Amino acid sequence: MIEVTDLETCFSTGFIRRRVVRAVDGVSFRIEEGETLGLVGESGCGKTTLGRSILRLVEPDRGRIVVDGTDVTALSRSELRCFRPRMQMIFQDAYTSLNPRMRVRESVAEPLKIHRMGSRTDIDRRVRELIEEVGLNEEHLNRRPYELSGGQNQRVVLARVLALKPRFLVADEPTSALDVSVQAQILNLIRDLGHDYRMTCLYISHDLGVTRAMSSRVAVMLEGRIVEIGRTADVLDRPSHPYTRRLVDASLTGPCASLERLPLPAAPTTVEVRSGHWVEETV
Amino acid sequence: MTAMSDALLEVRGLKVGFPTPEGLVRASDTVDLEIYPRETLGLIGETGSGKTVLGMAILRLLQPNTIIEGEIRYRGRDLLSLPEAEMQRVRGREIGIVLQNSGTSLNPVYTVGTQIAEAVILHQGLSGPDARQRAVELLDAVGIPDPVRMAGEYPHRFSGGMRERALIATALACRPNLLIADEPTKGLDAVTKRGIVDLFSEIDRDHSVLFITHDIETAGDLATRVAVMYAGEIVEIGGAEEVLGDPAHPYTRGLLASLPERGMQPIPGSAPSLITLPSGCRFSPRCGCAVENCSREHPGLVEVGSGHYARCMLYD
Amino acid sequence: MHKKIVLAASLGIVFAYCAVALLAPVIAPYDPHAITGAPLSPPDRDHLLGTNDLAQDIFSGLIWGTRATLLLGFVGAAIAVTVGTAAGIVSGYYGGLIDEAVMRLLDVAMTIPIFPLLLILTTFFRPGIYLIAVLMGLLGSFQGVRLIRSQVLSLAVADFVVGTRALGAGDGYIMARHILPGVLPLAGVKFVTSAQHFMLIGIGLGFLGITDPSVVDWGQMINRASQNGAMILGLWWWLIPPGLAVTLISLALAWLGYACEDEINPRLRVMRV
Ligand SMILES: Nc1ncnc2c1ncn2[C@@H]1O[C@H](COP(=O)(O)OP(=O)(O)OP(=O)(O)O)[C@@H](O)[C@H]1O
Ligand SMILES: Nc1ncnc2c1ncn2[C@@H]1O[C@H](COP(=O)(O)OP(=O)(O)OP(=O)(O)O)[C@@H](O)[C@H]1O
Ligand code: SF4
Ligand SMILES: [Mg+2]
Ligand SMILES: [Mg+2]
Repeated sequence: MIEVTDLETCFSTGFIRRRVVRAVDGVSFRIEEGETLGLVGESGCGKTTLGRSILRLVEPDRGRIVVDGTDVTALSRSELRCFRPRMQMIFQDAYTSLNPRMRVRESVAEPLKIHRMGSRTDIDRRVRELIEEVGLNEEHLNRRPYELSGGQNQRVVLARVLALKPRFLVADEPTSALDVSVQAQILNLIRDLGHDYRMTCLYISHDLGVTRAMSSRVAVMLEGRIVEIGRTADVLDRPSHPYTRRLVDASLTGPCASLERLPLPAAPTTVEVRSGHWVEETV
Repeated sequence: MTAMSDALLEVRGLKVGFPTPEGLVRASDTVDLEIYPRETLGLIGETGSGKTVLGMAILRLLQPNTIIEGEIRYRGRDLLSLPEAEMQRVRGREIGIVLQNSGTSLNPVYTVGTQIAEAVILHQGLSGPDARQRAVELLDAVGIPDPVRMAGEYPHRFSGGMRERALIATALACRPNLLIADEPTKGLDAVTKRGIVDLFSEIDRDHSVLFITHDIETAGDLATRVAVMYAGEIVEIGGAEEVLGDPAHPYTRGLLASLPERGMQPIPGSAPSLITLPSGCRFSPRCGCAVENCSREHPGLVEVGSGHYARCMLYD
Repeated sequence: MHKKIVLAASLGIVFAYCAVALLAPVIAPYDPHAITGAPLSPPDRDHLLGTNDLAQDIFSGLIWGTRATLLLGFVGAAIAVTVGTAAGIVSGYYGGLIDEAVMRLLDVAMTIPIFPLLLILTTFFRPGIYLIAVLMGLLGSFQGVRLIRSQVLSLAVADFVVGTRALGAGDGYIMARHILPGVLPLAGVKFVTSAQHFMLIGIGLGFLGITDPSVVDWGQMINRASQNGAMILGLWWWLIPPGLAVTLISLALAWLGYACEDEINPRLRVMRV
């Protein structure tokens, strides 16, 4: 369903002395239809950049992305615009994901209007349906983001994204600003909707508990590379890469984890330690 | 609660209201708490329950038309009646704050190093190059890799977690007595979070910390005492182990049951509007243990264990 | 409350000036160029503010002069703000090479002093008043670009903008629907402050005697009065009214600018909650 091959995204910074940050460095993986892949890793390792590159919200420098049989990397700008509805993204902070000047009604209707999906009354009806689907009701339609709680805003974002019936969803820490009760509501909602829409999902999170609950497989990212990938239980209960081990240890209480950087090989090779559980070899 | 005089910060009957066209939003309603020297008070609770507002009110950072009543005593001085000029000396130097929205708290047109150096110059009177050097040290202290280079970068080139750390560095620049940290570990991976938590446990050897968070596990790790907020009120407060290990209030119990590790069972319903609050106990429309009296009488804080209080009829 | 009074008063003054400019033919008793009686006569019932050395009615001149000043100010400011906002949005939104090119261009452009350049251009080409306004607007648009761009920088990376891009919206749509509304308040303040600035420049040009000679303006009136010894001869009615008129509108615009700035600042803060 989603196949990413050797994806690389760089940022260059500095005006005179250009420096290149390789935020995503040769990443390959597959996600099957309807499956959720969890993505964890150090902050700043390139998870958001990876998610955005797959959707071509940042242009990757190299690599191939195939979504639903379509090579996304080969699409022209206008073809991409038509393809965009099929792949969507939810961001970490619900407040900043919505235009502060727009009412909920306008925000949810916007994607339908951009793609001219139906007449005004059709759109209006669809907006009502969507808002109920995410557990809000009509009284919320006339509010603006700062008049809603964080959890309610995240539901609006979800409604807006679902309006286009995406086949693939990147969720970039969608609940890290919410309390655990609202988090549980949103996670259950994403899980149920994923089920109903048969949505494929890349779920980025720092919370291993959440990752366990949401995903069937998990990938661990470090400095732009995927260093370990496999079934959630395999990776998190029997971590093979030292970084994964450190990550799992740090989330338990106990002796402090060191912040030293791990030495990484320049030309990594990957080995399969268990069926479907791949680990990058360390020096 | 312990003798009042030895507290570093004492909040008494704090009420904060935002006038809006729809009515008064009561974001904080008769909040009482104290923070002792060298202690970390963890503040957890529902989204939108007034945690950030409480932190901002202490430093008087809320917008001017906000209605604030009550007392906030810092070392015996009432901050609410301090003239603005003196309040400016308290901010940053005496009480520091790490704001919640790391995305918008950094100015996009200056480099991160410049912004940290600015705080250093403002409060410690260092010269430009020294301040710059200090900024790099601070970035290093909060675990930013290659701090010299990153100090020269603009905020949008930082990842979410790196921005959060840059903000912590800014707040630490002035070595405040009390540090208010509003979700400082949001968006950090477990290892980095651990680093920040260790940083904070070092900080609280000689500073007090008000640690606002949604991360119950981290609150348990770090805090000496924990307060739980719901709909503008403190509903439970006490030692971290008692509150999180043996919660008394049904809301706190619901919160713990929502953790993914413990079954991810959300509390039914959604938070009440702070304009039209439910009558009686504010949690009563969602509470599984509610009795008839709950929607009629507003419960006060009741001592349920030594230094452990809960706002619930069940313990009357 | 105090702020509201200032806002209302300054708005009132600005509207009054606009009304006078629009209704000049109705209000003014004479054609400002016509010879209407004895030269240099002090104010009386026929000539509310007396006449000048050419026996032209000063009150009528004052009324018609409002047009020139407001036109220079508002047309100039409209052009400056439109160009500045457009350039700022494009530069901040696209970033990268476009942004760097615009910024380098600005670095150079900002070193050009506007007033002397205008002086040279108008002296040589003697353009009509509309052309002067356009020139002024174009030259004055540089400062706005930076201001708008810095706001756009943070808007362009905001999640709601990236999210809308992910929905498949085009760049033009995003700039018009999401970025522009975000910078409009700022552009509004810039409009008011530029208008004030340009009016003063217009008066300066008139005073130096190099504006459109077919248009009556206050600068020329002051120039003529002072050159013909209004000060020495004590002909206050010739010199003071245009001076006062300039001061009042300039003050009103400055107040309006401050009031608007105050107004948008708390709004911006709420948006960040
Ligand atoms: N626009 C940009 N220009 C330059 N560098 C960037 C840009 N965006 C991100 N980076 C860099 O790319 C790297 C990866 O960033 P990214 O935001 O993808 O990390 P992340 O894994 O999502 O981190 P977090 O968990 O903290 O959100 C970081 O080192 C960051 O500094
Ligand atoms: N300027 C304002 N005007 C009106 N209402 C406001 C304003 N600022 C905050 N509020 C309201 O006050 C309540 C408390 O907000 P606060 O930001 O303190 O919540 P919080 O507990 O920090 O939540 P979170 O965990 O999501 O950060 C919210 O319901 C919010 O909508
Ligand atoms: S007072 Fe009643 S409604 Fe409120 S928390 Fe206690 S049992 Fe529940
Ligand atoms: Mg990220
Ligand atoms: Mg908050």
